[in-house]
Amino acid sequence: MTALKMIGIGLAAVLLGSTAVSAKTLVFCAEGSPENFTPALNTTGTSLDAARPVFDQLVEFERGSTTLKPGLAESWIISPDGKTVTFKLRQNVKFGATREFKPTRDFNADDVLFSFHRQSDEQNPYFKVSGGKYDYYNDMDMPKLLTSIAKTDDHTIVMTLSEPNVAILANLAMDFATIQSAEYADYLLKKGKPEQFDQVPVGTGPFVFASYQKDAVIRFKANPAYWGGKPAIDDLVYAITPDPTARVSKLKTGECQVAPFPRPADIPELQNDPNLNVLSQPGLNIGYLAFNAAKPPFDKKEVRQALSMAIDRKAIITQVYGQSGQMAKNLIPPTMWAFNDKVTDYPFDPAKAQALLKDAGVSGPLDIDLWYMPVQRPYNPDAKRMAEMMQSDLAKVGVNAKLVTYEWGEYRKRLQNGEATAALFGWTGDNGDPDNFFFFLGCIDGKPAASNVGKWCDPTFNANLAKARQANDQAERTRLYGEMQVIEHDQEPVLNIAHSLVYEPVRKEVVDFKMSPLSRQQFDGVDLK
Amino acid sequence: MIRFFLSRLALTIPTFVALTFLTFVAIRLVPGDPVEVRVGEHGISPERLAMFRHQLGLDQPVWRQFTDYGWGLLHGDFGTSLSTSGKVLTEFLTLFPATVELSACAMLFAIVLGIPMGVFAAVKRGTWADQALMGLSVTGYSMPIFWWGLLLIMLVAEQWHLTPVSGRIDLIRFDYDTPTGFMLIDSLLSDEPGAFLDALHHLVLPTIVLGTIPLAVVARMTRSSMLEVLSEDYVRTARAKGLSPFRVVGVHALRNALIPVTTVIGLMIGSLLAGAVLTETIFSWPGVGHYLIEAISRRDYPALQGGIMLVSTVVILVNLLVDVAYGVVNPRIRHGR
Repeated sequence: MTALKMIGIGLAAVLLGSTAVSAKTLVFCAEGSPENFTPALNTTGTSLDAARPVFDQLVEFERGSTTLKPGLAESWIISPDGKTVTFKLRQNVKFGATREFKPTRDFNADDVLFSFHRQSDEQNPYFKVSGGKYDYYNDMDMPKLLTSIAKTDDHTIVMTLSEPNVAILANLAMDFATIQSAEYADYLLKKGKPEQFDQVPVGTGPFVFASYQKDAVIRFKANPAYWGGKPAIDDLVYAITPDPTARVSKLKTGECQVAPFPRPADIPELQNDPNLNVLSQPGLNIGYLAFNAAKPPFDKKEVRQALSMAIDRKAIITQVYGQSGQMAKNLIPPTMWAFNDKVTDYPFDPAKAQALLKDAGVSGPLDIDLWYMPVQRPYNPDAKRMAEMMQSDLAKVGVNAKLVTYEWGEYRKRLQNGEATAALFGWTGDNGDPDNFFFFLGCIDGKPAASNVGKWCDPTFNANLAKARQANDQAERTRLYGEMQVIEHDQEPVLNIAHSLVYEPVRKEVVDFKMSPLSRQQFDGVDLK
Repeated sequence: MIRFFLSRLALTIPTFVALTFLTFVAIRLVPGDPVEVRVGEHGISPERLAMFRHQLGLDQPVWRQFTDYGWGLLHGDFGTSLSTSGKVLTEFLTLFPATVELSACAMLFAIVLGIPMGVFAAVKRGTWADQALMGLSVTGYSMPIFWWGLLLIMLVAEQWHLTPVSGRIDLIRFDYDTPTGFMLIDSLLSDEPGAFLDALHHLVLPTIVLGTIPLAVVARMTRSSMLEVLSEDYVRTARAKGLSPFRVVGVHALRNALIPVTTVIGLMIGSLLAGAVLTETIFSWPGVGHYLIEAISRRDYPALQGGIMLVSTVVILVNLLVDVAYGVVNPRIRHGR
């Protein structure tokens, strides 16, 4: 009997042990620590990635793409005039719990109102909590665009816009439009510790926040009540690993299964590792050289075209980007639905460039300032090297380029004020909508916007930009954006240089991990072998 | 003794004031603005920029910002981090145990290996063993921490699988609270079998990397101090009395030779914390070194200023304690002779 008992206990222990072992834990080697866990307050990918497992938005991006799908709003209707969007909210959606807060109700319209009012209403008690910088809300022009937001019942939200703008849906899929719990906010306010709202997140997402040790680890548990179904992995761990070499080493030794942002020099070695899959895709970005069309002789399109032909972009891609760049012929990357592949790229042709300059009346050496960024950006890993190569190319066609740079903040400010003659700059897309790229060549009331660093205005381009915002039909939008790419190519306000290629190595036991064109890390739908 | 302590303490006050001022000014000389640094290609409207600069007090004259900051310091307020909105002092105290744990282990490593190495080299002066040990010590001293750390990670952790790559504990196997912030203590408190050994295992590489330079310094200092002491009359007398070589070296000579070594160890606390900045970044060690690096890249003035002040405070206090301890050991210093 005793022996049987012992065997029974032993078996139970083995079974219990195996249950514990069978819990699937995925470790993601995150590149840094989040500033906090409220996406509306943050702009860095690191912070947004850290909060994403916990939250949902009304509209969401399909995993691994920029295609929109219903999120906490199961459907929406846009009014015929395009100025009202009515969202039908999903029901029976549960919020996660924390050690001290247990939600007493399901998600409803009050949570949507709270999440937007926090960013827009100065009277909201949370408006100033944690610094109150809602950069993305402002950057996406939401204060101007969103005239009002109201609920008609607990499961219906109506947004009124100042002008028709179909890109609003893509905006609402961005992290800043995350829906947080109004009940949790009230609870913490009553407890007198509202700042905890941004440190211990409560959301409706696929994972529930478990703990955070600053600069060390963030832990999440699968949300068994998730409206989209419980995730396949039980525990999600963000091991904060700032050094790229350490990330790669941890990936190789199996201490983590996914590691973002490898150094370009490590990529060939990673590709040869039999335990790893190195995923890659063109980043949703563009690095370009802007010509200031407000300053002669760049007011002549022939001069802009000539300089574009004088620069050997192929050499730049090889030397500056290595394996991590793809030559750009349009402003938007080829992965976007509005990409116009019929545009023929300018060739590298110094002789033709010289002839064009002569035709444009530029005789003798032309002196210009060529600005380069003092920092590395996702779309340009080494602006100084790029500028030096351009300087050398331009000298061969009689253009003397003086290299200029400033501290990054100063650089942007001066550039946007129109002080440069020619400057390296770029853009990283926020939401996958073409409008989010073309807007920065746009003009307001015939004057270039601050973001339009080329200070170039074209009436047809701008008319199309406005029409595309109001068109519900994607085919019509594709046509309009297609025309805009032809205009941009002909006028050449900027020389499109490259879209960077983004790499993400994952271990082979990771199943169905999808890279996002928006460089988002997302782990629902991911499994482990 | 109390008078000696108070006079040493009084000397630290101008040091603190000068340090506060220098830190404050130096940070503001670094190009970049804490508001603009977080703005990407979107840019920021002049109105919003002015609003945030006003909120942070950056639109005030620098002297005014400095007096406000000094007033806060006098009230124990080291400011609020611009990026996390957390209190700098709280964040620092959360991270400091990790740095202390690593630094203590590195120092222990340096002392436990460095002193015997120095003694051995002194006793075997001029032999190949002496030259080999001192050659190793010069190599260790001139080793760039960053390079040394990455080399060990690639070789010991990645190739030979002898240690983990980085971090403080196996995150898959162990998940427990860290009330003290000292992983070795918390692992013992956790009752999780194997946690303590795992925490120790994680300490091996960062300890070696951070402890290499102090090890080299301690070894060389011990050697030269031992050589000096070994030529003293009382050592000759001890030998003449027929004491065993172990007793002569280990008891009579070493005790006296350790006085300057102790001072050097105290002074090295500062350089150890400087080394921790790099070591913590390489080994994903959540200490104050990494915190300062992040604060620089984010132009987080309060975090950077507060962090530097607190680290400096620790260094100054440790040096004060060393001074006092030295005064206790050597009364001539205490009496200013």
